[in-house]
Amino acid sequence: MRLTAGVSRPVVLLGLAGAGLFVAATDAYVVVTLLPAMIADVGLTIDRLEQATPLISGFLAGYVVAMPLLGAYSDARGRAPVYAACMAIFAAGSLITATAGLLPGAGIVWLVTGRVLQGLGGGGLVPLTLALAADLYGGSGRTVAIGSVAGLQEAGSVFGPLYGAALATAAASLGSWRFVFLANVPLAAICAAGVLLGHRRLAPITAPHGTAIDWPSAVLLGAGLGLLVLALYPDDPANRAVGDLFVPAGAASLVLLGAYGWRQVRQLEPFIPRQLLRSAAFIGSSLANVLVGAALMVALVDVPILGRLVFNLDELDSGLLLTRLLVGVPVGALIGGVLSARIGLRVTALLGLACSALAFWQMSGWPAGELSLRLGPFRQADLALAACGLGFGVVISPLAAAVLNLARTETHGLASSLVVLARTLGMLAGLSALTAFGLHRFHQILGNPVVNDPTVRERVDHLARLVSAAFLQEYREIFAIAAVICLLAGLLALATLGPLPYRLAATANR
Amino acid sequence: MISRGEYLYPMRRLTPPAAGLAAVVLVAACGLQPEDPAVALRQGGQATAALKTVTATVKVTKGTITFQGFKLVAATAAVRLPDASDTNYTVRDKDIQISFEVVILDGHFFFRPPLLAFSELTPAQAAQIPDLALLFDPNHGLPAVIPAGRNPQYQAADQVDGVDSHRVSATYSAEQIKGLLPQLSAQGDVQAVIWVGGSDHYIRKAVLSGKFGDNGTDSTVEVDLSGFNSAVHIASPTRTG
Repeated sequence: MRLTAGVSRPVVLLGLAGAGLFVAATDAYVVVTLLPAMIADVGLTIDRLEQATPLISGFLAGYVVAMPLLGAYSDARGRAPVYAACMAIFAAGSLITATAGLLPGAGIVWLVTGRVLQGLGGGGLVPLTLALAADLYGGSGRTVAIGSVAGLQEAGSVFGPLYGAALATAAASLGSWRFVFLANVPLAAICAAGVLLGHRRLAPITAPHGTAIDWPSAVLLGAGLGLLVLALYPDDPANRAVGDLFVPAGAASLVLLGAYGWRQVRQLEPFIPRQLLRSAAFIGSSLANVLVGAALMVALVDVPILGRLVFNLDELDSGLLLTRLLVGVPVGALIGGVLSARIGLRVTALLGLACSALAFWQMSGWPAGELSLRLGPFRQADLALAACGLGFGVVISPLAAAVLNLARTETHGLASSLVVLARTLGMLAGLSALTAFGLHRFHQILGNPVVNDPTVRERVDHLARLVSAAFLQEYREIFAIAAVICLLAGLLALATLGPLPYRLAATANR
Repeated sequence: MISRGEYLYPMRRLTPPAAGLAAVVLVAACGLQPEDPAVALRQGGQATAALKTVTATVKVTKGTITFQGFKLVAATAAVRLPDASDTNYTVRDKDIQISFEVVILDGHFFFRPPLLAFSELTPAQAAQIPDLALLFDPNHGLPAVIPAGRNPQYQAADQVDGVDSHRVSATYSAEQIKGLLPQLSAQGDVQAVIWVGGSDHYIRKAVLSGKFGDNGTDSTVEVDLSGFNSAVHIASPTRTG
């Protein structure tokens, strides 16, 4: 669907749509700093932390399922109504999440249901907003608009933990973490109403056609991801790293996701030539994005949890600890854009990922008193986190450009959502796998210590110190794994991405 | 689900005689005749005194009750009277929720913090933790305290877990409440609403409200009883220390 030129205030319309996408993206990891309070309010105790992972993986699964489906559907139904519907689903999910633990029976299942709905609504906004950007802008302006939307999505997801911690702290008397989700409802309503009203002024120049939701793909992807999460769920982390269903659910997941991938490649072929879909650059970039997603997830989730459980920081301070990493991302993104144009995609990607790998390697040696160690005027931990974020920022541009280079200009929205999809898929798989590994290692490290202190309080405090030490060791190992993942992604990028820099003109004319 | 007692709410708009008539009709309609509140409480005390086993849950629904620096959220005990129990505590330490378990068996006290195995406590150490078995002490627990309530008033016929029950309110002294659980240290009288089974006379639920929270703040505690004389298996924990 192409919209007429001379539209009234496309910036405002795209801004509203982008604001909604930003709000939805923040909610992906908004729970990271709020997890202890959230699980406590639905009756779970901290020793069953594995039961809390669906609060993040459920959102991501919904996000990943909705993302590839709704772009084509909105071609037929119109962007604005489908956008509003997604916002309504996101708001409903937010409301359900916010009321968990308040109503009889509204426990962890209720909470996870809310998070999945949030993900479904939020994930649908990605292709819709990208498509809206493509509708509203032509020529070189389109690439800028699409880039801005993709940037908003990325920024929202990385700023989520800090946003959640800051808002929950500020609204301590208004429901704390619940307020974070309740606030989504009016924000979603404003964005949806604005997009609906603004979009009425824009006349489509092509008639809607009969595209519908690709339900077979939706079922394949949803079931495949659900089985993947199930396969990696640590049902007994004290005794084994993976659950009983690891092999059957994992195998079934691979089959279903493979079938989904096969269908998608067939559907993409009219838009992106087959040889490009099968090119080393496309496959390498996609795989590298999956690995980057997994490593980024380590930083986004584990750093705030480390802050809470090991460094004894409160919600806000653990969120602030993560800001050191978050600040590095946009700076790195700018540097990555410049470097990609000057020294090429593969070297830029390798540099970025090597930077993150080095930072993770340094973090894998953090002691319990890390936050008191300084390097000149800076805290050592802050420098490591900033370097980690910087590397993740640097790699955004070359990996995205590698895919965009393959696509025609009019399919840049589709190509961009493929990049986001690959990264989110990596985050989902990374979160599930590392949670399973991490909790099992935690139990191995903790072992069966005896605490015989004189009072119950002292016994629990003694246990807390042992748990803290075990968590620290577990996270050190996870950081080391993340460093290896970053290196693998860097080597993959070096081997598969084209040596040439990203040239806007070349893709625009393709 | 609306409890039967809540149907009495429209009485507020009726004249007193009409309201009384409506109450009788409604209570009769639910199959449970109104009981003299003092009799209901006495029967509740007697039935509870005769219990062999029971499951008790205590939930803090308002205010904060702290012991050993932990804020009590809830505790559930499987009790085999007179002296065996297995209690799971859910407490908060700052905003982190943890659980631990205490087993009392054959005069020994066993404590299991999260993630670890049981270790033994001395009686003095065990006394630091609320013991729900004390609720059934014949001299200071529910059997003795409940019938001794002042100003008992019949409120309504109600259902608790599908069982027709009498809902009765009464007032208790701080000393009486402290006898139930030493951690409930009240400043002044405590208001209680008690549900007594219509046919078996077991005390099924009690809601206590008063200034027994930390620093004498207003607090509410809900006590739910179930599993009357059901089989309770309390295994001897494997000790590690």
